[in-house]
Amino acid sequence: MNQKELKELIEFLIEKDIAEFELERGDVKLRVKRTHDSAATHQVSFVPVAHPAQFPGAPSSSAPSAHPAAGKAVEEEEGLHLLKSPIVGTFYESPSPGAPPFVKPGDVVEAGQVLCIIEAMKLMNEIESDVSGEIVKQFASNGQPVEYGQALFAIRPHQKIQA
Amino acid sequence: MFKKILIANRGEIALRVICACKELGIKAIAVYSSADRNSLHVRFADEAICIGPPRLSESYLNIPAVISAAEIANVDAIHPGYGLLSENANFAQVCETSHIKFIGPPPEITRLMGEKEKARAAMKDAGVPILPGSEGIIPSEGDALEWARTVGLPVIIKASAGGGGRGMRVVRTEEEMPALFRAAQAEAAAAFGNGDLYLEKFIERPRHLEFQVLADAYGNVVSLGERECSIQRRHQKLLEESPSTQILPELRDQLGQMLCATLAKIGYVNAGTVEFLMDEQHKLHFIEMNTRIQVEHPVTEMVTGIDLVKSQILLAAGEKLSTIINGSGNIQHRGHAIECRINAEHPEKFIPSAGKITAFHAPGGTGVRVDTAAYAEGVIPHYYDSLIAKLITHGKDRAEAISRMARALEMFIIEGIYTNIPLHRRIIAHPDFRAGNVDTRFLDRLLEVRPEQGSERKITEERKLAVC
Repeated sequence: MNQKELKELIEFLIEKDIAEFELERGDVKLRVKRTHDSAATHQVSFVPVAHPAQFPGAPSSSAPSAHPAAGKAVEEEEGLHLLKSPIVGTFYESPSPGAPPFVKPGDVVEAGQVLCIIEAMKLMNEIESDVSGEIVKQFASNGQPVEYGQALFAIRPHQKIQA
Repeated sequence: MFKKILIANRGEIALRVICACKELGIKAIAVYSSADRNSLHVRFADEAICIGPPRLSESYLNIPAVISAAEIANVDAIHPGYGLLSENANFAQVCETSHIKFIGPPPEITRLMGEKEKARAAMKDAGVPILPGSEGIIPSEGDALEWARTVGLPVIIKASAGGGGRGMRVVRTEEEMPALFRAAQAEAAAAFGNGDLYLEKFIERPRHLEFQVLADAYGNVVSLGERECSIQRRHQKLLEESPSTQILPELRDQLGQMLCATLAKIGYVNAGTVEFLMDEQHKLHFIEMNTRIQVEHPVTEMVTGIDLVKSQILLAAGEKLSTIINGSGNIQHRGHAIECRINAEHPEKFIPSAGKITAFHAPGGTGVRVDTAAYAEGVIPHYYDSLIAKLITHGKDRAEAISRMARALEMFIIEGIYTNIPLHRRIIAHPDFRAGNVDTRFLDRLLEVRPEQGSERKITEERKLAVC
């Protein structure tokens, strides 16, 4: 990005009242936060960006983090299967603190194999893969709160899944 | 004071609690099922967490999911709204164990009032008049007749093991007792596997009256007066008002004081409603207590000027009643308020009407309040109950409240789904309603009469069902 592009970007951000802004390039990853009319910035967390225009005509006050969108985009492009959280809780990638993670991208897993733990109400729930295949991407990070239906892993299945 | 409250509910009441939170400077955390992704309560909360698929048992009634969401959002308290988990003593217990404040009474109180027989016994001990009922099972027709003679006919036979109208028979003369007793027994045995029966005094034309109370954690209780909820269909309230045309100020004060003393002794905390039936001789009989905020709380708010949901939050945070209500002994009642429950259902056939709302315009103007989470282009899901809006009017007297309600109902536009607005218009226009001559059978009688041909039917027809 040259200086002219950078200047235009900065002016655009100021014009649109954007308070915070991140950007990565490979695999995208975007994070925008606008200032609200009221004093506090309004942040809606845990809202999947798959439904950005919920209220037609209504101003949107912030764009949530794009992790689920990245997941959706990846799935659509390459026919990957998303493992979604069946419960709300805290995501852990390892069986215990300090232990190596259950899986990492590149690993081949079987259906029924434990991929992670989600802690809910002091109970550790082992989350099993629902397909056999290769782990392509992990969306949730260790210790992150996740909600019902949130994408945890993208898996390239060994067999074609029925839609 | 709480920093964050999770609302374990949906729809208009979730929005209502969010309003109270915003006004108190408390962050509101919404939970939602995947069917409610585009709900207003999700939009207006400070944070929103999806806790499950559409079915209630897997989302809003799923205690581990709700508590898990409360933990990851790090909330101080949970407001359960009404219905759902609000009177689930187990849930209140789990909140306590998880060090989250449950906004409501302690679990033991919820449990006490939830067990109907125990609640009646507690009230009876305290001197509150209760509807006469047989203590325990009535084994034979002979015993039934004997008991009926002591309280006077008519009486109702009920199944000990169930409800929903099955195993129930109303006995009006001594001659019919044996046959009806046997019929109820057979029906109960078939429906619930248990033919045990008990008896209750039956009131032919009861009026439903309820008293709103607030209590702090220091033994102080105040009564905010009564609501009359006699307009019901199949035991579901449709229209409520405050004050009741049947309660004189002396009785209001007397009963209010008695209830406060009783509830203080029981150790009641937070908001609650004590329900009564009034018989044809204007005597009140306790039936049950609801240990939560109620759907119809706005009529009390309009008449007393007290925000009940904010009060609940403040009480749960340990505030004293006297701080919340200036001079708590002296509740002012001003004017008259009426609420109509707007349901997404056919106004005559009562078939639920889920689907997309294509046009929505709520009435406004002086003395009109609308509590709703519905909006144009919004979808009413079929998984949940059909209440979509509450239309409340307030006037300087009952006549003004009624004329405002008639006007507001006429100006309420909801298209794309059926609503019961036409039914409410019929009720408001009815001479018996206007005269205050109502009882819980009023609506049954109204529905036996077909609506007029012409304008009303045309308007109903125009509102075509989009997709069900």
